[in-house]
Amino acid sequence: MGQKIREYVQGLLSEGKIKGFLGLRQEHGHVMPHLFCDPGDLEHMSLGDKDGPGDARYPLNQILIRVAAVYPHDTFAVLVRGCDERGLRELFKWQQLNEERVIPVGLGCPDELAKACECEKPFPDCLIDGPQGERADSQKVARIDGMDLEGRLAFWLAEFDRCIKCFGCRNVCPMCFCNECSLEEESLVGTGEIPPDNPAFHLTRAVHMVGRCIDCGLCEEACPGDIPLRTLYKKVAEIVREELGYRTGYTVEEKSPFNIIGGS
Amino acid sequence: MANKRMTFLQKLMEFCGMNPERVRLRWVTSAEASEFVHEISQFVEDIRKIGPNPLKTKEAA
Repeated sequence: MGQKIREYVQGLLSEGKIKGFLGLRQEHGHVMPHLFCDPGDLEHMSLGDKDGPGDARYPLNQILIRVAAVYPHDTFAVLVRGCDERGLRELFKWQQLNEERVIPVGLGCPDELAKACECEKPFPDCLIDGPQGERADSQKVARIDGMDLEGRLAFWLAEFDRCIKCFGCRNVCPMCFCNECSLEEESLVGTGEIPPDNPAFHLTRAVHMVGRCIDCGLCEEACPGDIPLRTLYKKVAEIVREELGYRTGYTVEEKSPFNIIGGS
Repeated sequence: MANKRMTFLQKLMEFCGMNPERVRLRWVTSAEASEFVHEISQFVEDIRKIGPNPLKTKEAA
């Protein structure tokens, strides 16, 4: 896996269609984000693991927003998995990126990863390399659904109480682009204590994930307290899908339901 | 839309272990005083039945 992507990007670069390709690079045993501008550089390209998408992941779309802000007239390609592609679509809608200036380069996730992520769609539509894996139902959400009210409250409070309010979940999130964050608004979430005002802190974030969270799981990976944030946001997505009929990041046309004031 | 937002909130509360009946949305105009009194009294009564907020007891402990 990877050769097809390398060739595809090489083509884009040599034809001058893009200024650069935002992907991953392996150097001294570490995988890190890298903007490839020279086709010769691509031999150091990585997919996140030895031969496929793996644990080493970065919010490439978040980095792309910064790159695009500096070079607004240039086009960039970016490595996307299923989740990242959903993210791109939302970022286009929220006007954080210009669709005409982004070329997604799709990579499908292996079954093992798709299962571990309990991913709804572990491959992008713009698939260049990798498998078209099957969707997996969330056992983690089902487990909490199976508890009674008291059990759920005890579960979540115990999880939330490990929070040290490092803001890692927010900072790593490719969909958190607000200049002013509600989590830092003292009237909503009290300050000066660790763990923070719970469940207010985490539920505020959960509500703000409506129409934004594309289930990439970076928040949960970044969390030093191992709080199952992904499970919480998966449930948020489930409620939004059932009650409002909206699936985040599946189309470029339809807008997030909470984004429409006075909508029905 | 407000209704849908409420349903969303109630489902999220339920998932996190809070009784969704603790929040309620009603439409009452300024001309419907008795309706307003009825709704509030009913809500107070229902909340009493549900009992103290478990999050408050957590803070007291």
